[in-house]
Amino acid sequence: MPAEVQNRFLDPAVLAGISGLDLVAKTVVDGFIAGLHRSPDFGFSQEFAEYRAYTPGDDLRHVDWNVFARTEKAYLKRYRGETNTALMVLLDASASMGFGSGPLRKFDYSKYLASALVYLAHLQRDSAGLIVFHDDVANFIRPSARQGQLLRLLHGIDRAELGRRTDFRRPFFELQQFLKTRGITVLISDFFEQPGKLVETIEPLRFRGNEVVLFHVLDPRELDPKLGGPALLIDMETGEAIEASAEYARTEYRERIGAHVEELRGKAQAAGLDYFLLRADRPLDGALREYFTIRQGRI
Amino acid sequence: MGFLSPWFLAAAGAVALPLWLHLLRQYKREPQPFSSVMFFERRLQSSVKHRRLRYLALLALRIALLALLAVAFANPFIWRTETIGGHRKLTVIAIDRSFSMRYEGRMQQAKAEANRIIDGLHGQDFGQVAAFDSHVENLTQPEADSGVLRAAVDSVQPGDLASSFGEVARAMRVLSQSSGMDLDVHLISDMQQSSLPPAFRDLQMGPHTSLSLHQAGKSDAPNWAVENVTAPARVYGEKNTRVTASLAGWRTLGATKRVSLVLDGKTIATQEVSIPANGRAQVEFLSFGVPYGAHRGEVRMQPGDKLPNDDSFAFSVERSDPRRVLLLYAGGRPQQAFFYKSALESASDTGLTVDSEAIELASREDFARFAYVVLSDVGDPGDTLNRALEDYVRRGGAVLVALGQRSASHGRVPISGERFTEQRQAEGVGFLDAQHAALAGVAHLDNVQVFDWMRLQPKTGARVLAKLADGSPLLVEESIGEGRLLIFTSSLDNSGNDFALHASFVPFVAQMGRYLAGGEETPSSVTAGTPVALRRTREKGTAADVIGPDGRHELSIKEGAQALTFELARAGYYEIQRADGRRTPIAVNADRRESDLTTIPAETLALWRNTGDTTTGAQPSGAERQSEPRSLWRYALLLVLAAALAESMFGSRYLRQERQAA
Repeated sequence: MPAEVQNRFLDPAVLAGISGLDLVAKTVVDGFIAGLHRSPDFGFSQEFAEYRAYTPGDDLRHVDWNVFARTEKAYLKRYRGETNTALMVLLDASASMGFGSGPLRKFDYSKYLASALVYLAHLQRDSAGLIVFHDDVANFIRPSARQGQLLRLLHGIDRAELGRRTDFRRPFFELQQFLKTRGITVLISDFFEQPGKLVETIEPLRFRGNEVVLFHVLDPRELDPKLGGPALLIDMETGEAIEASAEYARTEYRERIGAHVEELRGKAQAAGLDYFLLRADRPLDGALREYFTIRQGRI
Repeated sequence: MGFLSPWFLAAAGAVALPLWLHLLRQYKREPQPFSSVMFFERRLQSSVKHRRLRYLALLALRIALLALLAVAFANPFIWRTETIGGHRKLTVIAIDRSFSMRYEGRMQQAKAEANRIIDGLHGQDFGQVAAFDSHVENLTQPEADSGVLRAAVDSVQPGDLASSFGEVARAMRVLSQSSGMDLDVHLISDMQQSSLPPAFRDLQMGPHTSLSLHQAGKSDAPNWAVENVTAPARVYGEKNTRVTASLAGWRTLGATKRVSLVLDGKTIATQEVSIPANGRAQVEFLSFGVPYGAHRGEVRMQPGDKLPNDDSFAFSVERSDPRRVLLLYAGGRPQQAFFYKSALESASDTGLTVDSEAIELASREDFARFAYVVLSDVGDPGDTLNRALEDYVRRGGAVLVALGQRSASHGRVPISGERFTEQRQAEGVGFLDAQHAALAGVAHLDNVQVFDWMRLQPKTGARVLAKLADGSPLLVEESIGEGRLLIFTSSLDNSGNDFALHASFVPFVAQMGRYLAGGEETPSSVTAGTPVALRRTREKGTAADVIGPDGRHELSIKEGAQALTFELARAGYYEIQRADGRRTPIAVNADRRESDLTTIPAETLALWRNTGDTTTGAQPSGAERQSEPRSLWRYALLLVLAAALAESMFGSRYLRQERQAA
């Protein structure tokens, strides 16, 4: 199937019509992998680690033929993935994630993203876990590579419900208790919080040798609100009401949300956290491909 | 201001509707859930103020629309003071500026009379000044400022055209209809009888028009004039020429005048002539030797009189060698040129000689050197020669094409390319367009028999100048670019007809030769007001030019590139350069009808005066005035319409913005 056709299928509006997170995750990841030029070297844990001498029984596809040509000795490429990295997905289920101007709410989009990530980890035989949180931990699935783990994770993601406010401190405190081994922690949220306070809360995870990736999911209308005229806006988390004009939304609000994104990106990078902004109207496979391209280039 | 139906004003209460729609309803916005309002601020400007500003224009328009509608139905009126009797009055001062007004003191008298009329206008009365000769020119619009009217009167100068009272009457009828005002026409003129139209009814003034006639100068003043001069426009070869002048006196006593022939300012000959009382005399200057080139001639009569401009008559004359005509014949048949050459050169006044040449040698010729070209049954001239000839015609040249047996095999007319078929049956000549310049003076060709001729279908726009008895074209004229193409559908020798054996062949060939050489367009003198053709078509080509009597270029560059004709309005010598490159000197003289200063009988003037509405002019400007209500509902309705249009424009604009925002 041509890539453009696949991309068309992977539009968020199309994903919304697919029943079952497993199918969504498979569709996204298959599409994502199909679009890669060097698919074996992609993924969370597929970074090159070392060469190992060939021993009978090894898969000949992993032999580095360039080295063989120079040395007449067969070596295999070894990847970090073969050290069983643990992937922990933290999914924000606060009320603000229920906002959506298109066919998908941010929360649905985030669920698809989480599903795709755990499915990708499953393909690479990494262990994967899940924490769904709002102002408390709503669901926790311990990281594992056991058989049936993928189904457990997808079920957990599917069952996740929106809560009320976001409070990063409590779930992260608990998370620190759960994370015994080094791994990759992926945080999917809309991050309606002061960037300084947010990074300050998440930063300790990094100290333990974890890689932390922040997926900042925002709806297009959050970045560029279209108000027909003066509007009474109700905060989905706090219930606070405020009158806003279309002109303010066109000018000052855009500047403020832009500054917020940039501040969060800057502070995250300063703290050694990966940051990636995702618009909820963007094809998911394309977004993942871009993220992993950036990630590979940085490493 | 008041209202005839004030109860309708109660409907103005409907303005509350847009107020409610704009101010109250706008507050009731449905709350919208939003993920986080942390980036919004609680500021008043972001809501109420902005909303009010945004819809202010729309609100104002809607209120205005409803209020104006109520006002329109309430039928507002104002009190207005008006003169009883309806129309407003416009005083028109029409001043004669024809040639006869050059008579000593007449124009000054006319201006003084005009200023006296202006002095009599009241402060709010409107006046308008016009000058007339053959045409009427309005020098001002209806104007209450007497200074403007006086300036217009001062600007009037006598010209060289004849006056026409019929034209004045027509212009006043038009002005009466277009202005809707009562006209009080003051016509100031020397009241020449020659200015009257042929029919008295053409002097009829329109309704609501009064006519006052003011005579400038004495009635029936005596005047002598050089009435006409007969002189050739062109002289060829070494021959001497003759100039004849006609002198006339109107209401004059018998007198002896000294008449001089002047060429380029030098007196060539002088004669004493006795002019009988109120009569005419002829003067003849014989053996007049004209030097080579173009010259300005003049017949001058002395002593002069009080109208000096008609005491001389200008003419132009040009001496040159005879112009050459190129006759091309088919190779080996030089006898084809015999009849045409003999006929053309036997007509002494054409100034044309014929050079005959085989067509095979013609490709080296520069056709522009010849007066015109004759293709005498040449058959197919070939592409190169055909293109060269077409280019020559397009740039102003002239070609006569004769079709004979040799052409029949080709089947196409050279240059124009029309197809034809050969016919071998005897036909007489059925029709001759003697009004056309190419055949002017040619008698009917009764006995001519054409037995070998070509039947062709003339192109659209072509003109058939002569036909055979069965209606087939015999002579056809086509215009190509700036040039002329004449097609004679038989031969010019005796092989296809017996025309060359008849005496009528000579004037036929001579007149056609003059026409093709362009000589018919340049008389030695013309009357002022005569239009002259500058080009045949508006096709892009060489610019035409006109140098006036004072030596100035009369046309702008744009006019020179586009104008088809030019009116020679002033007396004197003009130099015309046509678009086809021909340069022609033309002498222009004032219309000699103006020299007869006989005035219109008093009873005729009284009749003319009575064709106007005599009550109009008598109405004093201080007529009884009274106030009456004037309704304004139409204006209010127009404002309603304007407000509705503006509201729909604003409304659709806001709606579009809302949609875009949504």
